[in-house]
Amino acid sequence: MSGAGRPGAGWWLLLLPALVLVVVFYVAPIAQVLTISVTEPEPGLGNYERLFTSPAVQRVILTTLRICIITTAIALLLGYAIAYAITLASPRARGWWILAVLVPLWISVLVRAFAWVTLLRRQGLVNNTLLELGVIAEPLPLVWNEFGIIVGMVHYMVPFAVLPMLASMREIDPRLLAAARGLGASRGEVFRRVFLPLSMPGVIAAGVLVFIFSLGFYITPAILGGGKTLMVAEWIGLQILDLVRWGLGTMMATMLVVAILLTLAVFSRIVDLRRIFGAGG
Amino acid sequence: MQSFHEDCVALAMRRFRRGEVGRRALLRGLAGLGLGAMAVPDALAQAVRQIVMVNWGGIANQGFGRFYGEPFMAANPGWRVVQDSTGPSAGRIRSMVESGRVTWDICDSSATTSHLLGGMNLLTRVDYGVVKREDVIGPTFALEFGAAPYSFSSVLVYDSSKFPTAPTGWADFWDLQRFPGTRLLRRDAAGALDAAQLSLGKDPANLYPLDVRASLERVRQIRRNLVFWTSGSESEQFMRTGEAVMGQIWHTRAKVLEQETNGRIKFIWNQGILQPGIMVIPRGNPAGAMVQNFLASMLANAEQQVELLKFLGNGPTNPRAAALVPEEYRRFNPTDPANARVQVPQDGQWWGANYARVNADYIDMVTG
Repeated sequence: MSGAGRPGAGWWLLLLPALVLVVVFYVAPIAQVLTISVTEPEPGLGNYERLFTSPAVQRVILTTLRICIITTAIALLLGYAIAYAITLASPRARGWWILAVLVPLWISVLVRAFAWVTLLRRQGLVNNTLLELGVIAEPLPLVWNEFGIIVGMVHYMVPFAVLPMLASMREIDPRLLAAARGLGASRGEVFRRVFLPLSMPGVIAAGVLVFIFSLGFYITPAILGGGKTLMVAEWIGLQILDLVRWGLGTMMATMLVVAILLTLAVFSRIVDLRRIFGAGG
Repeated sequence: MQSFHEDCVALAMRRFRRGEVGRRALLRGLAGLGLGAMAVPDALAQAVRQIVMVNWGGIANQGFGRFYGEPFMAANPGWRVVQDSTGPSAGRIRSMVESGRVTWDICDSSATTSHLLGGMNLLTRVDYGVVKREDVIGPTFALEFGAAPYSFSSVLVYDSSKFPTAPTGWADFWDLQRFPGTRLLRRDAAGALDAAQLSLGKDPANLYPLDVRASLERVRQIRRNLVFWTSGSESEQFMRTGEAVMGQIWHTRAKVLEQETNGRIKFIWNQGILQPGIMVIPRGNPAGAMVQNFLASMLANAEQQVELLKFLGNGPTNPRAAALVPEEYRRFNPTDPANARVQVPQDGQWWGANYARVNADYIDMVTG
């Protein structure tokens, strides 16, 4: 193992062009932007001080975290049910199931946001149907609020929750479930004490993926929020493009990057994230 | 109007000037477009002298090219005006000027942004030796860092099927008892707070400086009944689909709504917030001082301003223009004397000095 397993200097040279490319065109510009957060409007940590002193900054962060956590929880719940159903389905049905999960992924996020507006608005399909059935007397406020944002985001995120969980569930040996049944466990017990614990790595990985993805959401909240709910990504855009407060905007961008790296660091200790993000077995 | 073919030539010339393609490749490319070598010197000379005008897209791209660009090109042979619809937000202009690679000559902006960016030394001053102050109807249309060839207004629009009596001003906008229903405001303090201040009964002649605290509080009062728009098309949708029953939107959208709903949705000029469509010049623009002549021509050309009113709805700013407007368009012209009289001109100076702070507070309140 000693000689062959260790990459020599030649291998690193082969990697060098890719490394240079990433550093020059990706890392360096990002670093350049992020340094604005400590140089504007004056050098120092004034922008970061706002994290502790400005209620507005805190509110944007709290709103974002709240929406992301709720979205992640619901997407995991729905995704788990779907992944479970797919795992137990016959091979033929499984193909259709997976197609049904993947198709929404190929539709533009913009189109989906507008589709939700059409469904959820005051004179939209949902409200009109409920009104005609006499279930409600007044249209329900289904959109232009956090509810609308969460509906839109969950819809976007469910496939991202399903795929890692499905991968993890399909690795569970079905004979273990049969053995548990044979040893006298009820169906519920088999699920709770055998299937669920074995699928947990997939759940955690899906949770991390969905949560990180949600943190940077821009279009869905901008369209479904009715202007009243501001998440970090839109807030950063506002600071940079309209208010020209680049120091503040880049401070928040730095915090977003830090939050994502931190989440990854913490959870990579619990599950093998490399495998989930496609780095191979 | 620029043809697709012309645009191909322009693109090829641009790549040549930037050094992305060599002379030989350029000639080959132009030959491919059906232009022989004979056409090249002419095309070269033309392409070198061009003015890039930046708008916000949509049909403005067409309208500005036709009514601002073409008359100038006709009067100044050898100059081309090209349209770019990137959307010249304050942040984009700043990053372009600070990077030192300015490709824009004149940008469709606002009074507020002109003060904001002018104060940061990112804009070229308007040269009032070339641009004529007497070509605009009032001082709010000719500023230090920009001048306005068109005007627009933030007007009160309402769904007439929802109310037995018509609202007459911003006080009614805040009266949820007499006019119940969801309201629509722009998610931008400039315009919204002016209306809030007017609703509190302040004399329109002495509206500025705004009492920011009181105006913000006024908006907060009806926050539960508000939705906010960020783009013109969004504002139109909110009214058209009945999400909101009353709103403050741009008069151009209000006009479309009134015409397309056969008058179910109406708007009033009374207490509309009249604003200048300020064009700004990024510092270090490639066309240099010639852009001042272009700006001067846009302001002086009353006939074309009237054509733009007919095409897009933007109000003329030249004092000669209002009389040239045909009868059926007068009702929709924000600077028609009858309409201008009942509106309130927005103080761009005050907003420029206070915008960043006040708008941040406004957005905090809106999202709070």
